[in-house]
Amino acid sequence: MRKGAQVSKKRALALLFVSMMVLASCTNLPATTMYTYGDHATRILNDVMMPVFWMAVAVFVIVQGALVYTVIRFRSKKPDAPIPVQTHGNTNVEIAWTVAPAIVVLIVTVLSFRVQAANSYQPPEAIKICAVAHQWWFEFQYDVSNEECNPFSGAKSPEDAFVTASDLYIPVGQSVQIQLEAADVMHNFWVPKLAGKTYMIPGKTNYLAFKAEEPGIYRAFCAEFCGEAHAQMRFRVIALAPEEYAAWKTSYKNVPAVSTGTISVLGLTGDVARGAALFAEPKKQCMSCHIISGTAAKGKIGPNLTHYGNRLTIAAGVLPYSTDNLALWMQDPEAVKQGNLMGRVIKKGTLSDQEVADLVAYLDSMKLPVTKPAEK
Amino acid sequence: MAIAEQHVASAHTNSPVYEGFSWRSWLATVDHKKIGIIYIIVAFAFFVLGGIEAVLMRVQLGAANNTFLSADTYNQLFTMHATTMVFLVIMPMNVGIGNYIVPLMVGARDMAFPRLNALSIWLFIGGGLLLYLSFLTGGAPNAGWFAYAPLTQNQYSPGAGMDYWVLGLGLTGIASIAGGLNFIVTVLNMRAPGMTLNRLPLFVWMNLVVSFIIIFAFPTFTVASIQLLFDRQFGGAVFNPAQGGDALLWQHLFWFFGHPEVYILILPVMGMVSEILPTFSRKPIFGYSFVAYSGIAIGFLGFIVWAHHMFGTGMGPMANAFFSGASMVIAIPTGVKIFNWIATMWSGDLRLTTAMLYAIGFISMFIIGGISGITLASSPIDLQQTDSYYVVAHLHYVLFGGSILGLFAGAFYWFPKITGRMLDDKLGKIQFWLMMVSFNLTFFPMHIAGTEGMPRRIYTYEAGMGWEIWNQIETVGTFLLALSVLMFLYNAIKSIRSGVRASNDPWDASTLEWMIPSPPPSYNFLHVPTVTSRRPLWDAKYPHAAGDDHGSHSKPSNVRYEYTDENTPGAKDIHMPTLTFSPMWLSGGLTVAALGFIYINKEILGLPEGTAALGFIAIGIVMVFVGIRAWVVDSRRDSPYMSSHH
Repeated sequence: MRKGAQVSKKRALALLFVSMMVLASCTNLPATTMYTYGDHATRILNDVMMPVFWMAVAVFVIVQGALVYTVIRFRSKKPDAPIPVQTHGNTNVEIAWTVAPAIVVLIVTVLSFRVQAANSYQPPEAIKICAVAHQWWFEFQYDVSNEECNPFSGAKSPEDAFVTASDLYIPVGQSVQIQLEAADVMHNFWVPKLAGKTYMIPGKTNYLAFKAEEPGIYRAFCAEFCGEAHAQMRFRVIALAPEEYAAWKTSYKNVPAVSTGTISVLGLTGDVARGAALFAEPKKQCMSCHIISGTAAKGKIGPNLTHYGNRLTIAAGVLPYSTDNLALWMQDPEAVKQGNLMGRVIKKGTLSDQEVADLVAYLDSMKLPVTKPAEK
Repeated sequence: MAIAEQHVASAHTNSPVYEGFSWRSWLATVDHKKIGIIYIIVAFAFFVLGGIEAVLMRVQLGAANNTFLSADTYNQLFTMHATTMVFLVIMPMNVGIGNYIVPLMVGARDMAFPRLNALSIWLFIGGGLLLYLSFLTGGAPNAGWFAYAPLTQNQYSPGAGMDYWVLGLGLTGIASIAGGLNFIVTVLNMRAPGMTLNRLPLFVWMNLVVSFIIIFAFPTFTVASIQLLFDRQFGGAVFNPAQGGDALLWQHLFWFFGHPEVYILILPVMGMVSEILPTFSRKPIFGYSFVAYSGIAIGFLGFIVWAHHMFGTGMGPMANAFFSGASMVIAIPTGVKIFNWIATMWSGDLRLTTAMLYAIGFISMFIIGGISGITLASSPIDLQQTDSYYVVAHLHYVLFGGSILGLFAGAFYWFPKITGRMLDDKLGKIQFWLMMVSFNLTFFPMHIAGTEGMPRRIYTYEAGMGWEIWNQIETVGTFLLALSVLMFLYNAIKSIRSGVRASNDPWDASTLEWMIPSPPPSYNFLHVPTVTSRRPLWDAKYPHAAGDDHGSHSKPSNVRYEYTDENTPGAKDIHMPTLTFSPMWLSGGLTVAALGFIYINKEILGLPEGTAALGFIAIGIVMVFVGIRAWVVDSRRDSPYMSSHH
């Protein structure tokens, strides 16, 4: 009796564990591949992943079951059991179980080819956006030619190009075609809820076409190991309704207005005008790496900071955007994101707290009225 | 160099090899058994190192936003963990067991080229030590074991780590190619009379297949990594797109080696399992030819699937379709093997020793790894799962659940033959169950974390992604897994000292190695046996049960006749090759020269750029020449023409 109770307890535990797993993989988590909102990812999930999952469960149950049954049924019960019949094989049976897996993989192959054909199609009417990966952040260029987007083509995009960093804006319900480029090492473009991965390879252009089905903010990652800060190279995809997307585009193209005012950061008063002056001071080196449209800042090493106040995150998805977090980042970039290139210039103490507060005020002041959709 | 020649008289002792220990008898050995043991011990030491690296990484990942390790340390650890487990643990462990067992199984007195065999072991150790030296000299390689270009170029990986990686693996690569050739010649030329290819034990078959894979796959890797070295040291631009090179070319070259490498890691273990299951089922393998041919099929197919590691690189839908389809085909011979193993056990008399449990555990875990492999062979599914923790789960089910569990099966099976003592079976069973539970705790949740979007090779992750619970379970599992490995180590040490003495044939097995004493004498077989069937020892023990090479059923008899080598009278003097330090000189010289090449453009030891490096290279070349000269002298001494005056 006690033994039976133990076994059922074990079974209950195992069942609990398995159901926990099933539950967890069906919960709509921030980056799960099991809740999709883009046609590329949805086709993978519905047309091949789930059918293959159920086939896999069936194969697992049959083969693992056969193994366990065989071991239990034929385990030696007494040490002097007679030598079993010496069977050497059976050609018919073996041909049968050569054909069986062949049929299974043939089905999987057909399903795979169909989805692959659909997913590799590049609709000619798709909206073209260029993504360039850098160590360790993503840059998105809108309305540029293929050559201007390609860092190895020799045709440089203009300094006042329409660019965002770490936030990719796309319209809902329309196919977008992302031209994928890398400026230094290999990276990989992955938005689990919208589309599968595609490499970003220096010297080789790749294209990925997909369509977001619902407005929302989607998590995205660099999925290829790309050096020290790879773990913290993330981005967000912001899918907007078509009219909102059009409005965003129009307003984003405007040069940020020169504003004034103060905000409170680090217990200090950050002054926008003082921040703008600091940013423009060559000695502070901000301009050697960053661009802000409408100013003298024309550096192309770091991310474009135009309309920085609209960013969703700081340091390529590491911290959520807030003036406090921005101050944290500028006080000591290395502490926020190990290995980042800005940390080689700005060490802890390079900028005084007052300077940080002023710069934060300035960057935060460049803000457009954009409606943010919900996190998906 | 004074060389003691071993002339073994017919009056045999139990085990002249192990009576009395001397460093010289090991360091200068050319005996395939001693070399096998050195391989096994060194590979186990690296297994512990690679395990420590894994535990450190799992501690870091046990909590979101953890700060236990820095990003760079973590990157070094995952690079070295994979490099260690692939090149310094599973491969040499396979080679070690193969080195010990293959010549015995085919009825040979040694490998075909005993001195080349010694060169392999010392080159492997030199390469492994060189790789680990990088930890002490400013940082281990940190660009991943796959070393994708152009991250490996000087401007992105400025330290010497990647140079250590190239040259360390270069040395072990030479060792592997030499070993592969040695196995091929041994199996093809050194078989006992009557041991036709059709009667080769399956473990030997798989070693033969793997040796061919090694000699075709490794040169690609060696060439690619030398090109990388030229990129780094001499400004070659092969893989650097900024200078017109092609970054993607590295991936093709690497995986053209890297995917067959997977079969290099798993096929010998499949061979072990194909020996262990029949022994403890007390039946022959079900469908010998199917199992052998499926191994050969996997060997061939392994060379046309490499780009399934690259579905996301933009090769185009046609190329993806080809590599996806070809990868699917591999499931067929793999499935055949699994069904044949289960059929081998069917209606057998299963003796569930620890070795047998591990062999069954191997099949069970390999089924899971095989199924997740199919999902990754599907090019669309792969685009979601690749580079996520799902792949980490898959590869550990194949390489730990497959290779390592199979190697534990082999360890429990052949430990008595190698040491003359039995491993503690009770402790072994506890360790087996602990390992099965902790292995699944560690690696199963990775499927889920990956499906939930957790990328791999990240040293930290943010809270609230739903990944924490799985990572915590995995970290707990890792500690239990480490504990079970320590239990094995304890078992091995305890059993070598005071384990039950093993007879010649403790498992009532069927292959030739069980015919001779445990441990075998240096010359292996007093009389080289004549083989008349696939199960020579079984058929000698149970003459009324056997003799059938041809798929028919036979009514066996239980009567066992003792049959050992020692029963055969009238052995003559056996001449074995003499001790020699020459392979060690040669491989030591190559290692020192490789160390020099690492620093050819760098200042070290306070000397101007390149000076110390040239010094190392010069010393290395001198050592190589000393080694070659000693090699020639020593082999002349062993030559039948030269030794005729004795």
